[in-house]
Amino acid sequence: MKRCLPLALLILAAALLPLLLDPRGYWIRVLTFTLLFAAMAQAWNIVGGLANQTSLGHAAFFGIGAYTSTILLLKFGISPWLGMLAGGALGGVAALVIAIPTMRLQGHYFALATLAFGEVMRVIANVWTSLTGGPGGLSVPFVPPSFAGYSFKLLRPHAYIALAALIVVTAIFEMIRRGAMGYRLRAIRENAPAAEVIGIDTTKVKLQAAVISGVLVAMLGTLYAQIAVFFDPDTVFGIASISIRIALIAIIGGVGTAAGPILGAFFIIPLEESMNALLSSRAAGLSQLVFGIVLIAVILWRPRGFITVIDAVRARLSRAVKP
Amino acid sequence: MTVLDVRGVSRRFGGLQALSGVTFSVAKGEIVGLIGPNGAGKTTLFSTLVGLIRPDSGTVTLDGKPLKGLKPHRVAALGMTKTFQNVALFAESSVLDNVLTAGLLHHGVDAARSEALNCLDRVGLRAVAHKQAGDLSFPERARVELARALCTAPKVLLLDEVMAALNHAEMQEIMQLIRSLRQDGVTLLIVEHHMRAIMNVCDRILVLNFGRLLADGTPEQVAHDPQVIEAYLGRSLEKRR
Repeated sequence: MKRCLPLALLILAAALLPLLLDPRGYWIRVLTFTLLFAAMAQAWNIVGGLANQTSLGHAAFFGIGAYTSTILLLKFGISPWLGMLAGGALGGVAALVIAIPTMRLQGHYFALATLAFGEVMRVIANVWTSLTGGPGGLSVPFVPPSFAGYSFKLLRPHAYIALAALIVVTAIFEMIRRGAMGYRLRAIRENAPAAEVIGIDTTKVKLQAAVISGVLVAMLGTLYAQIAVFFDPDTVFGIASISIRIALIAIIGGVGTAAGPILGAFFIIPLEESMNALLSSRAAGLSQLVFGIVLIAVILWRPRGFITVIDAVRARLSRAVKP
Repeated sequence: MTVLDVRGVSRRFGGLQALSGVTFSVAKGEIVGLIGPNGAGKTTLFSTLVGLIRPDSGTVTLDGKPLKGLKPHRVAALGMTKTFQNVALFAESSVLDNVLTAGLLHHGVDAARSEALNCLDRVGLRAVAHKQAGDLSFPERARVELARALCTAPKVLLLDEVMAALNHAEMQEIMQLIRSLRQDGVTLLIVEHHMRAIMNVCDRILVLNFGRLLADGTPEQVAHDPQVIEAYLGRSLEKRR
């Protein structure tokens, strides 16, 4: 119960935050994307954190989710909520297809293979013009505002849906981390042959983790499509814009912990946005340069992520309480 | 009653015939020692038995079930597991979590935790249950391996040098444990370099040399087998005894 109180306060604060921001303003948009990216990094964390397989191809699932729900809405008028389920299913299939050949790879090789897979998806989306609209991208058609149609006049409902998504994905991550699957994934991460010998089906567990992660990220792709209203292959299948950003958020925050991706997202997304707002008018590329320098500084200061700052503060507090 | 039956198991690595036609069987509740000079194929044989290495030919049968082509996790589920010679713990996890993970083979998380604590009790490591496994001394880590293997509730347990680097008292404890495991119906195969320990605790000894089974008999028989003495033990065994 003691541990639940700060969590409840945090969720309450997060729930109040959208009410404080101008509903037509810029910052509620930043908040919505921050919550969405936190959820994505949390889903990535299942594979990247618990199994320690640094995927740089999660844009593949994200894009699949965005395209699936939008195409179903455009061509058949199907609600994005249902489209989200279809996208999640396709994302899961894609995750299985990529996981089978890459499962035995580790470290850099796994990262490169997944990176290539994301790029393949981007190329397919650019070329398959009849389905995806090609490089021109897709616009999410206007439907009269309603919850069932996942269409709203203002951004506030989107912010709440993104918050709900973050809470759900975080809960799934924590259930996996604390449950049998979390133990199995950590065992595989630390010594795969030993894990097999004590009865862990390493192949099955890795595939399960990959599919869960892929399904969740694909479903979040639908959220992005509904918020952004317009997207093209380079934005949803982008290496820098999606794949690396997701991994970076989790890594900066602290890989393998539930708080890590949330901390990372609330640092990176607002930082990136404010750099753009402050500096983009000064000189071309200056905002990215400053953003990059800040990231390097943070990585040097806390190589294991922001989570270690919280751990250090907590340790100091408990020492202060118990003299 | 035979619990483990090994017939003509061979395995070649490039130019090295690591195992050739190894044949033996082990009865339920037996404690069998496996000895031989370095590079004789003892660890390769253990890895082959649990499915980490596929034999080129030959069969392994556990409790009447052929293990052909089965992955190690299936072999573990059927009741055979091993410890690793070089100690292969989940170093960043706690001692308890190392052992608990093995308990998940037959239990949910909570039951696996209490089972793991029992196993840690048996190897005398309950006091360090919450330490990180990588922080323990080498002999302690070997005992965590033993507890972890025990937590899969094996019928046949293969111990690869768990007594390495133990002092006399610790070795006595492990030998006690090995005997008590037999009381529980566990069958044990033990690779060990410490001759006195192995002669003392084993009912039977297999001698492996250059991948071939050189001798198979009681400790007495093996110790007096002229072939074994010539190929491996030399006169040192007589001196030590």
